[in-house]
This record gives sequence, structure tokens and C-alpha cells, in this order.
Amino acid sequence: MDFNFSDDQEQLRDAVRKWVDKGYDFERRRAIVKAGGFDRGIYGQLAELGLAGLYIAEEHGGMGMGPVEAMVVMEELGRGIVMEPLAQTLIASGVLSGYANDDLKSAWLPRIASGEALVVLAHQERKARYRLDLCEAKASPAGNGWSVTGDKSIVPAGDQVDAFLVPATVDGKIALFLVERSAQGVNARGYVTQDGSRAAEVKFQSAPAALVTKDGLTALEHAVDIGIAATCAEAVGALDKTMALTAEYMNTRKQFGVTLSTFQALRHRMADMKMQLELARSMSYYATLKLNAPTEERRRAMGRAKYQLGVSMRFIGQQSVQMHGGIGVTDEYAGSHYFKKLTQLEMTFGDTLHHLGEVSARMQDTAGVFA
Amino acid sequence: MDLAFTPEEQKFREEIRAWVRDNLPQEISHKVHNALHLTRDDMQRWAKILGKKGWLGYGWPKEFGGPGWTAVQKHLFEEECALAGAPRIVPFGPVMVAPVIMTFGNAEQHKRFLPGIASGEVWWSQGYSEPGSGSDLASLKTRAERKGDKYIVNGQKTWTTLAQYGDWIFCLVRTSTEGKPQTGISFLLIDMKSPGVTVRPIIMLDGGHEVNEVFFDNVEVPAENLIGEENKGWTYAKHLLSHERTNIADVNRAKRELERLKRIAKSEGVYADPRFRDEVARLEVDVVALEMMVLRVLSAEKSGKNPLDIAGLLKIKGSEIQQRYTELMMLAAGPYALPFIKEAMEAGWQGEHVGAAYVAPLAATYFNYRKTTIYGGSSEVQRTIVAQTVLG
Ligand SMILES: Cc1cc2nc3c(=O)[nH]c(=O)nc-3n(C[C@H](O)[C@H](O)[C@H](O)COP(=O)(O)OP(=O)(O)OC[C@H]3O[C@@H](n4cnc5c(N)ncnc54)[C@H](O)[C@@H]3O)c2cc1C
Repeated sequence: MDFNFSDDQEQLRDAVRKWVDKGYDFERRRAIVKAGGFDRGIYGQLAELGLAGLYIAEEHGGMGMGPVEAMVVMEELGRGIVMEPLAQTLIASGVLSGYANDDLKSAWLPRIASGEALVVLAHQERKARYRLDLCEAKASPAGNGWSVTGDKSIVPAGDQVDAFLVPATVDGKIALFLVERSAQGVNARGYVTQDGSRAAEVKFQSAPAALVTKDGLTALEHAVDIGIAATCAEAVGALDKTMALTAEYMNTRKQFGVTLSTFQALRHRMADMKMQLELARSMSYYATLKLNAPTEERRRAMGRAKYQLGVSMRFIGQQSVQMHGGIGVTDEYAGSHYFKKLTQLEMTFGDTLHHLGEVSARMQDTAGVFA
Repeated sequence: MDLAFTPEEQKFREEIRAWVRDNLPQEISHKVHNALHLTRDDMQRWAKILGKKGWLGYGWPKEFGGPGWTAVQKHLFEEECALAGAPRIVPFGPVMVAPVIMTFGNAEQHKRFLPGIASGEVWWSQGYSEPGSGSDLASLKTRAERKGDKYIVNGQKTWTTLAQYGDWIFCLVRTSTEGKPQTGISFLLIDMKSPGVTVRPIIMLDGGHEVNEVFFDNVEVPAENLIGEENKGWTYAKHLLSHERTNIADVNRAKRELERLKRIAKSEGVYADPRFRDEVARLEVDVVALEMMVLRVLSAEKSGKNPLDIAGLLKIKGSEIQQRYTELMMLAAGPYALPFIKEAMEAGWQGEHVGAAYVAPLAATYFNYRKTTIYGGSSEVQRTIVAQTVLG
């Protein structure tokens, strides 16, 4: 057992952190929110760093790295509350690498790795909430390929991306398809979300599609688990920064002639926040290190991890705002944007009650990290 | 002991209910029931309707033109208004400054200020907090120097709620630096149209504009606008704070919002999920316990007792409940709470929603409601006060 990062991983962290500090300061981010919550140029810069190809094999132009490297990168992006959806790229590259045929891989993976193509998961449907097995979109054979019909919601950067991974049923069973945004019958209506980033409602009307796999639910669960691990890591970065901002504020803001950090009520609160942060970090490691485990074990781990992260994000986010007093509820202050990001991350790929349900449903007589 | 309201109280409630039903504009209650954006006109319109009836100052004694209601009657009035979907009365005029003017102001000030407050014509703001003085209000620095029959005011207030609409602002100002910080503070009424007053918006994390910074640059204020005696303002301000009480717990609104939460949860399909339902059940017990606590305070007031040690708890619990129902509403909407479409929070918006129409303001309201445990005395400061009553 070893929870240390290798030199290469530390270098990767440094590179991403430097980029965030220089290329994605708060003013830059604010400008991107104002301009609609997504900046293809910024995404291009992430790709230039090699991050879009992180999960993609070298033969397809990627870096051939694994979950730990992905975690390191996502932590740093979370620290800067970067909105461009790299987690989605990890999902798309993971799913295409694992489930698509060679033609599809060769057609898409190199373009994803270079940043030329951005592919995101479009799975959310009106009645499904966080469940993955509910799907009303339908697919049927059309010519040499397939066509997909259905509505998908809150698709990350959905009106800006190049293609979608779309679950749709064939004979009542979920299959997974790739649909290009420029294809006929695809309509995307974009908007910003609570954290300032971009999403869209996407309608598919007999849109031409390529089949990724007929075992769509397995692939979708895997996709979401990659997303959960990435989200946990992103959250840890955002939590880390939230704690740092709060500690700095406690040490500078004076009331009653002393800094807030002298009040025991607030000191104990900081201790509780630190507890939640380290529980969250531990569970983020756990999620990452279980990402390649057998399905059942992997799914159980993701539920546990996302539950803990949800608890931590809500507690630290709320307490941080509270301890800042009035400043904490202003748009001008960066901390409030971390709070909104944490709230959004909690509701991404299943909220805390949903994952409590997952843990509960998968619970066995004994429990532990290795079970 | 008897839990029921008396037949007279019950009759009073029914009269209020009927009146509110006949007089509350439906456009306004629609907005309130759906957490849509209320304009200045909406708030002012309802204030004026109440004012005309003599109920805007519903807590006022008869001698000042109020209805002279008992504590229970006031509570029933608040409850009927809340359940019907009336907007909250903007408290700064009728609930906050008016009692101070009545108690510590002179006859001239009564005549000059109270009618405009009672009718809802004049919009008041509260100028207490400053950038360096939040929880530690006594450290405030805004100076008012006496020059003949005027005060010259210099300084800055902040977090001033709805000051963008303000006609007048009541301020705590420093008139002396001698002695303890509390003893050099005066209570001054300032016309916001005076030269040298500047209001600058602070945008909240939900994108809304409800608080402001207010700057005073050599603002001339006639000395006759001083309430009571110079340097005694702290005493008056404390009197004002003791006036909010059951009101600030807002249990009636909590009851209405709990009902809305259940509607949303049903419609989103999570009300059937025992895990979510239990969270609502927990909140339901909180609301009922808070209501019982409010009723105990009312009963004590009715019989002339004053259990301050419980009243302090109402703000703590009430504000936490407010945060919790906004949180559960957002969570009930799940991923559909995430789109941020600002225009969708305006009544009559014709655009296309994402998910059900009612989800549009849910997350924004959750973010905005983090304020409830900060303003009006933060939960930490309240707990310190409560601890003092327990521990001595
Ligand atoms: C939406 C909103 C509307 C407002 N409207 C008005 C208004 O109309 N007029 C007006 O005058 N003011 C208004 N306020 C100001 C409000 O009263 C102050 O924000 C509040 O008193 C807290 O002060 P602060 O923001 O400076 O926080 P600080 O006093 O700096 O406190 C920061 C944190 O430290 C905690 N803390 C401070 N001292 C202690 C202590 N001794 N022990 C333990 N913890 C402590 C606080 O509880 C808080 O969590 C409003 C505020 C908000 C957010």
C-alpha cells in the first residue's frame, strides 16, 4: 500500500496548477461565465497540455495514463473551479476505449486526444433523476447504421461540443450510441448552470448514430463511475481551496478587536471542516483506486465515495459561507462561487441521498475498504 | 393548559382570512407561492393596501393609529397573510423604526414620520452595519458632527437591504469617541435624497440585487432628525432588536413552504422515496416544534410574562428551518435545479423552461437563503447570547 504520488504525477500536478494559476484566474473565469460558461480556446489549452488524451492509449495519440493521474488533474482543475468539462472527456475516452469497435476508436480517439473533438455524455432524462436504468430515448436500425430519437437534459456544454454519447433502447434494452452534433435531427438549446458553466437541452429526432455497444447499461454505469471518480477529485480540489480561503479569512477579519480565528466556536467549526475534508480526500482516493475493480466492487465503492463527498461538500460549503458573514453571500467574492460549484458537484452523477440508497442497496454483512 | 385558540381568536382569524382573500392581488400571491421575483411595486402595492386598512402597522398600539391587537392576534394575522401568499412586510419602517420613533421620539417626530410609515408611502432602510462592524456593531465609525442646528455625516454603511428603493434611512452614527464604544452612538434619521448620499449595489451570489453600500459624504442632516438624546442610540437600537421576536422565526411562512416542498417532491417523484420523505418528515417535526415554541412565547406574552430565554432560540431555529426547506426543494428537483435561467424567475416569462416551471428559482433561493443565519444577528452571536442566559 502506498498513497504517495510518483515524481511524474507530482510534475503533472505542478503543470496543471501552473496553468490554472496563470491561465484561469478568477477574472478570466468571470469573463468566461459572462460569455456563456464555456470557452473552446481554454479547452484547447487543456488539450495542449495533453489532458484531453490522458486516458487515451498512445497508439491513438494519447498519454495512456490511468485513474491516479486523472485524479491529480481533476483536483487541480477543481482548485481553480475550471468549468470546461474535462471529466466528460475522461468519460468519453474511457468508454470509447473500452467498448467501441476499432473503426470508431480510430475515428474518434485521436481527435479527442488532440482536443479537436469534444465528446460528452448525454444521458439525463426528465423522469430518470439519477437512475441509469430508466431511458425513454429509442434507437432503431437505419441504413447501414442507426438512428436515435429522444430528449436529453443538462448535457455539459451541449450546444458547443462535437458529439454525444447517448443511451437509447433497442428492443427494450439500453444500448449506447455516438451522435454528432452536426448530424441531421440534432437540436441543442444552451444555457448556463448554477456554477456558471454551460449545458444544453438536446433533442434527437431520428438522428443518425453510430453504435458504441449494445451492452449499453454496463457501459453507461462505467461511464458514470469514471465521472464519479473525477467529480470526487474535482470536489477535493474545490474543498481544499474553500478551506484555505476560509482559514485566511478567519485569520484576517477582525471583530471585537480580535481576529475571528480567536473564537472557539469558529475554531471548532474549522476542525470539523478539516475532518470532512480529509474524509472526502480519503474517499476520493478510494474511488480512484477502485475504478478498475470488478463491476460490483467498483459500483459499491463509487456509491460510498460519492455519499461521503456529498456530505463533505455540503458541510464545508455551507460552513464556509456562514463563517464569512455577509461577504460570503456576495457574487464578488470567489468563495461564493466555490460554494455554488460544490453544490452543483453534489448533484452531479447522483446526489447524497441517491448514493446513500446505492450504498444501502449494495450493503453486505461485512464492510471494509477491501470488500 | 389549552392548545386551542379561543372562539374570539378563531373568529378574528376568519375575518382576517376573508379580508386577505378579498384584498391580496392574485398576481402577487402567485409570485410568492412560486418564489418568483417581487418588484418594488409588488411590495409597495401590498404595503399600501394594508396601510389603507390600518394594518401595515399591525403591531402598533391604538394611540399611534395601530389596531392595538394582542400578541395572539398579531400572530394570527401574520399566519393568515403568510398562508395566503402575501409578501413579507418590509420591516424597516413599520416593524423596526416606528416603535423607536414612538417610544423615544418627540411629538413633532411622531407627527412627521409615523403617517408615511403607516400608509406604506415612505420606504425606509436600516443603516447599522459597516464594513468593519458586523457582529461587533458597537465599533461603528460613521461620524455625525454637530454644527449648529445640523449634523454633518461622513462614513459608509453596508449590507443595506433594498436601499436602492429607500426614501429614508435610520442610522446608527458615532457622535462621540469618549468612553465605551456603545456610549458614543446616536440614532439619526436621514433623508436619502440629501446631497452626498450615494447608494451602490452589492450583487448577491444568486445574481440578485437586494443589498447595497450606502456612502455619506458631508451629508447635512437637520438636528431635529435625532431620535431621543445624543449618545443614547445604542439603548434605542437594543429596544428595536427586542421588538422582533416571534416575527423573525417566521414559522408561518415555514408552514406554507413546507407545503410547497411536498408539492414539488410529489411532482418530481421523490416524495415516494422513503429516504427523501424521511428528510421532509424531520423538517415537519422541526416546524411543528418551532410553532409550539412560538405559541408558548405568545401565551407568556398574553399573560404578561416574558420568557426571553426562549425567544432568542426562535431566530436560531427559524432561520435554520428556512435554509432547510430551500435546500430540500432544490434537492427535490435534483439535476433540474442546476440550470440557471434568470429570466425564468420573472412572472410571465414566456420562454422555454428546463424541467418543470417551478424549478427555476429553487437553487437560487437556496443560495440566497444562506443569508438567514447571518443577518439579523448571526447564529453564532445568537448562541452566545442564549448561552449567557443559560450559564449566566
Ligand atoms: C442579505 C443581508 C441583508 C442585510 N441587511 C442589513 C440591513 O438592512 N441593515 C444592516 O444594518 N445590516 C444588514 N445586514 C448585515 C448583517 O447584520 C451582518 O452581515 C451581520 O451582523 C454579520 O456581520 P458581518 O457580515 O460583518 O460578519 P462578521 O461579524 O465578520 O462575522 C463573520 C462570522 O464570524 C462569526 N462571529 C463573529 N463574531 C463572533 C463571535 N464573537 N463568536 C463567534 N462567532 C463570531 C459570525 O457569526 C459569522 O459567522 C445584512 C446582511 C445580509 C447578509
